[in-house]
Amino acid sequence: MEHTIDHSAEKFEAKNEVMKVTIILSVLTIVELALGFLMYKMFPEPGFARNFIKGTIIILMLSKAYYIVAYFMHLGHEIKNLIMTIVVPLILFVWFIIAFLYDGHSFNVNRNTYDRYKNEKGQPHQMNPNAVEEKAEKPKSVE
Amino acid sequence: MSTTTVATDQKWWSGGRSPFNVEYGKLMMWYFLMSDAFTFGAFLISYGTIRFSSNGWPDANHVFQSFPFLGSGLPLLFVSLMTFILIVSSVTMVLAVKAGHERRKADVVKYLFWTIIGGIAFLSCQAWEWTHLHHEGAWWGSNPFPNADGSLSTTTNFSNFFFTITGFHGFHVFSGVIINIIMLIMTLTGVFEKRGHYLMIEKAGLYWHFVDLVWVFVFTCFYLV
Amino acid sequence: MSNEEMLQAQTSTGQVVEVPHHDHHGEHHHHETFITKYVFSQDHKMIAKQFLVTGMIWAILGGLMSVLFRLQLAYPDATFPWLETLLGKWAKGGHLSAEAYYALVTTHGTVLVFFVLTAGLSGTFANFLIPLQIGARDMASPFLNMLSYWFFFTAGVVMLSSLFVETGPFSGGWTAYPPLSALGSASPGSKTGMDLWLISMALFVVSSLLGGLNYIATILNMRTKGMSMTRLPLTIWALFFTAILGVLSFPVLLSGFILLIFDRNFGTSFYLSDIYVNGVGALPNEGGSAILYQHLFWFLGHPEVYIIILPAMGIVSEVMSTNARKPIFGYMAMIGSLFAIAVLAFLVWAHHMFVSGLNPFLGSFFVLLTLLIAVPSAIKVFNWLTTLWRGNIRFTPGMLFSIGFVSMFISGGLTGIFLGNSALDIYLHDTYFIVAHFHIVMGVAGMFGMYAGIYHWFPKMFGRYLNNTLAYLHFWITFTGAYLIFWPMHYEGLAGMPRRYYDFSNWESFKMFGGVNIFISVVAMIVFAAQIMFLINFFYSVFKGKKVTSQNPWGSNTLEWTTPILPGHGNWVGEIPEVHRWAYDYGKDGKDFISQTTPVGAEESSH
Repeated sequence: MEHTIDHSAEKFEAKNEVMKVTIILSVLTIVELALGFLMYKMFPEPGFARNFIKGTIIILMLSKAYYIVAYFMHLGHEIKNLIMTIVVPLILFVWFIIAFLYDGHSFNVNRNTYDRYKNEKGQPHQMNPNAVEEKAEKPKSVE
Repeated sequence: MSTTTVATDQKWWSGGRSPFNVEYGKLMMWYFLMSDAFTFGAFLISYGTIRFSSNGWPDANHVFQSFPFLGSGLPLLFVSLMTFILIVSSVTMVLAVKAGHERRKADVVKYLFWTIIGGIAFLSCQAWEWTHLHHEGAWWGSNPFPNADGSLSTTTNFSNFFFTITGFHGFHVFSGVIINIIMLIMTLTGVFEKRGHYLMIEKAGLYWHFVDLVWVFVFTCFYLV
Repeated sequence: MSNEEMLQAQTSTGQVVEVPHHDHHGEHHHHETFITKYVFSQDHKMIAKQFLVTGMIWAILGGLMSVLFRLQLAYPDATFPWLETLLGKWAKGGHLSAEAYYALVTTHGTVLVFFVLTAGLSGTFANFLIPLQIGARDMASPFLNMLSYWFFFTAGVVMLSSLFVETGPFSGGWTAYPPLSALGSASPGSKTGMDLWLISMALFVVSSLLGGLNYIATILNMRTKGMSMTRLPLTIWALFFTAILGVLSFPVLLSGFILLIFDRNFGTSFYLSDIYVNGVGALPNEGGSAILYQHLFWFLGHPEVYIIILPAMGIVSEVMSTNARKPIFGYMAMIGSLFAIAVLAFLVWAHHMFVSGLNPFLGSFFVLLTLLIAVPSAIKVFNWLTTLWRGNIRFTPGMLFSIGFVSMFISGGLTGIFLGNSALDIYLHDTYFIVAHFHIVMGVAGMFGMYAGIYHWFPKMFGRYLNNTLAYLHFWITFTGAYLIFWPMHYEGLAGMPRRYYDFSNWESFKMFGGVNIFISVVAMIVFAAQIMFLINFFYSVFKGKKVTSQNPWGSNTLEWTTPILPGHGNWVGEIPEVHRWAYDYGKDGKDFISQTTPVGAEESSH
C-alpha cells in the first residue's frame, strides 16, 4: 500500500518542550511523594482527610499520565481521529473500576457481617455496629 | 501535514490512505498498548478490589524504607530514585526518536545507549528491592508486614500483588531493554539508514514510554496510596 | 438446474465479465514450496482455510464429546462396551464415570466457544474477507497473521494433550471458577489437566490478540481508493467491532488467568479464602475473593459471546442482502446497532453473577444495562426482516442458514430478556433454561452464521460448488434438530432441573424428564450425523465439486467477486479496483445489481 507519511519539521518541536515536560513530571512526582509520606503521619486514623489526600495523589497520577502520553508518546501531535480512537475506549475503565471496587467493598462488608469464621483482624470499616453483636451469636446456618 | 493541504474528514476516510496519517505498524503498536493497558488495568483493579475487601493493609512508608548502603528509616527514597531513573530513560528515548526523525545516526546511537543503561539501572534497582524484601520475609505467599493500624496482617495478598504486578512490569521493562538493544544494533549496522527512515525506533519508543506510563500507575498504587 | 444456471437465469441483467486466465499477480509470482504455500503460509486466504479446517476438526471433537455426555444423560443405567474401548478407564464397564462426564462437558464448552466459534468463525472470515472486501493485497502484517494461526494451532495441541494426561483434562466447567480450578486437591481434573488448560488458553489469547490487531490495522489503513468506512460491507464492520472487542477484553482474561496460575502454583491467595479440603485439611489461604475471578472472567466472557455473534451477524447481513436482491435495510442503523452492542458488551458482564454473592444494588445496574441490549438487537432483527420483505429471494443454502440464524437469534434473544432480570435469574440460574438460552442464541446462531458464510464463499475459497442437495438436507436437519434439542430444555429448566448434573435418575422431581432426555439425546446424535454429512460434502467438493465458471456466481456487488475465480497471492491481477459506491446497490434503477467498482452514472438516483 502506498502511504503518505509526513515527516514535516513542525511535528517535532524544540528540545525545550521535552525539558519542560521532564521538569513537570519530576515536580509532580516530588509532590506525590511528599503527600504519600505525610499522609499517615498527619492523619493516622483512616477517614475523609486521608481519602482526600489519596484522591489528590490519584489526580496528580493522572496528570503525569497525560504528560507522558501527550508529549513523550506524541499523541498530542497526532491527528484528532487517532487521539479519539485511543482515548475513547479508555472510558470503559470508569465502569470497570467502579463496579469492581464497589463489589470488593460489598464483599468485605458481607463477610464482616455474616461470616463468623472470618479470620481477618484489623479494624472492620463501615460495618453495621449492631452486626458485631449479631456476629457472635449467629448460628452456623446463617452462612 | 505537507502532502494534503485540505484535510477534510472526507479525504481522510475515503480510502486509499491511512485515515490517521500513520503507517500500519505504528497503529498496531498503539492498539497493542491499549490492549496491554487493559492487562495492567485488570491487575491493578484486582489489587484495588482485594484491598477494598480487606479490613487492613500495610503502610507503604513502613515497608519501603531501605536504601542500599544507607540502611533503613528512609521511606520512599529508593523508589523515588527508581522513578527518576525511568523518567530520565524516557526522556532519552524521546530524544532518540527525535534524532531518528532528523536522521542523525550518531545521536540516535547515543540516546538509545543511555536509554538502555537507564532500563538496566531500573531493573537492577528492582532486583535489589526484591532481594531486600525477600530477606525481610516477603514473597509470594508470605507477608511479614503489619497493617497500617498496627494489627497483624492475616492475608498475604499485599506481597502477592506487589510481586506479581511489579514482576509483570519488570518483565515489560526487560523486554523493552531487549527491544532497544535490537534497535541499537540495527541502527549501528545501518539498517534504518538504508531503509531511509527510523520509524522502527518510534515504535520501540512508544513501547518504552508505555512502560514508563505503567510505572506511574504501579508506583502510585503500591507506594503512595 | 444447477446452482450456476439457476443464478445465471436470475441475474441475466448482470455484467458478463471475462475471466482472466492467469491467476497470479505478476509481482508476487515467486517460487513457493509446499511448506510456504500450505503450512507456513503468509497469504491471508490460505491462513483463513487453515483456521477453517482446524476449527472443523475441533467442532467434530467438541460435538463428539456432547454426543458422549448426552448418551450418559439419556441412559444413565445402560452400559456401552464400546465406550470402554474408546475411553478406557474413564468408562469402566462401558459406563461413563462422573469425572469423565465433567471433563467432557468442560472441554466441549471450552473448545466450542474458543476454538470453533471464535477462532474458527472470526479467524476464518476475518482473514478471508477483510483484504478481499476492502480491496487490499493482503493483511497489514502477513507475518503476524501467520503467527496468529500458529499460536492458535499450538493452543489446540496443548488442549488436545490435556485429554491424555493421567489425571484427565480439566473438569470444572469452561468458566474455570476457583477454588475448584485453583486447587489441585479439589478434583483429578484440577491437577495437570488444569495447568495445560491454562497454558492453552494463554496461547489462545496471544493468537487472538495478534489476529485482532491485524484486522483493525488492515481495515483502517488498507482500504482501497474510494472505500470509505460507510461503503464497507457489513461483514467488515462486524469483523471490525469483533476485533476491537477481542483486543480490549482478552487481556483482562489473561490477567485473571495469571493470578490463577499464581494461586495454583505459588501459594498466593488472590481467589482463595477460608477453605477446607476433605483429606487435606484447612488451607492457610486467607483474604482472597472467588468473586474477583468471576468478575475478571466475565469481563472477557461477556464480550466473548459478542465476539461469536457479531461476525455471524455481519455474514448474515451480507448474504441476506445479496440473496434477497435488495439493499440491506437501514445500513447506518446496522452499523449503529453493531456499535451499540460492542459498547454494551463491556458494561454488562456481572449479569452472569447474580447468584454469586454480587452486591444486589450493583446487580440492579447490570440488569438495566443488560436489558438495554435488547434495543440494538431488535433493530437488527427488524432490519433483517425488512430486508427480506418483498425481496426477490433466492433460497440458496447460504440464504437458508441466514434466515435460520435470524430465527435462532429471535428465539434465543427473547429468553435472554428473561435471564437479564436478576429476580428471574435467581430462579433460572444454573438450570437447563440457561443451557437452552445460550446454545440457541450463541451456539446454534453462531454456527448458522458460519455455515451461511461457508456456503456463500465456498466458490470463492476453492473455485468449486458444494453439493446443493446435501446442503439443503444439512440445513433442514440442523434447523429442526436444533429446535428439537433445545426447545424442551426450556421446560426442564423452568421446572428447576439443574445443569451440570451427572445423573438425574436419583431425583424424584426430575424423573419425569427421563423420556425428554432420551429424545434430546437421540436428536443430538442425528444432528451430529448431519454435520458429518456436511463435512463429507465439504471435503468432497473441495477436490471434486462442480467448478465455478463465472467470476461472480451470486451476482454480488462486493469486491471479492471482481478478483479471478481463484485469486492468487495479491488477489487482483494488475491494479486494485477503485470503489465508487456502497455494497448494496441491488435492484436499483432497473438493474439487478451494480458492482461497487461501477462509477456512479450521471442520471442515477442516489441511495
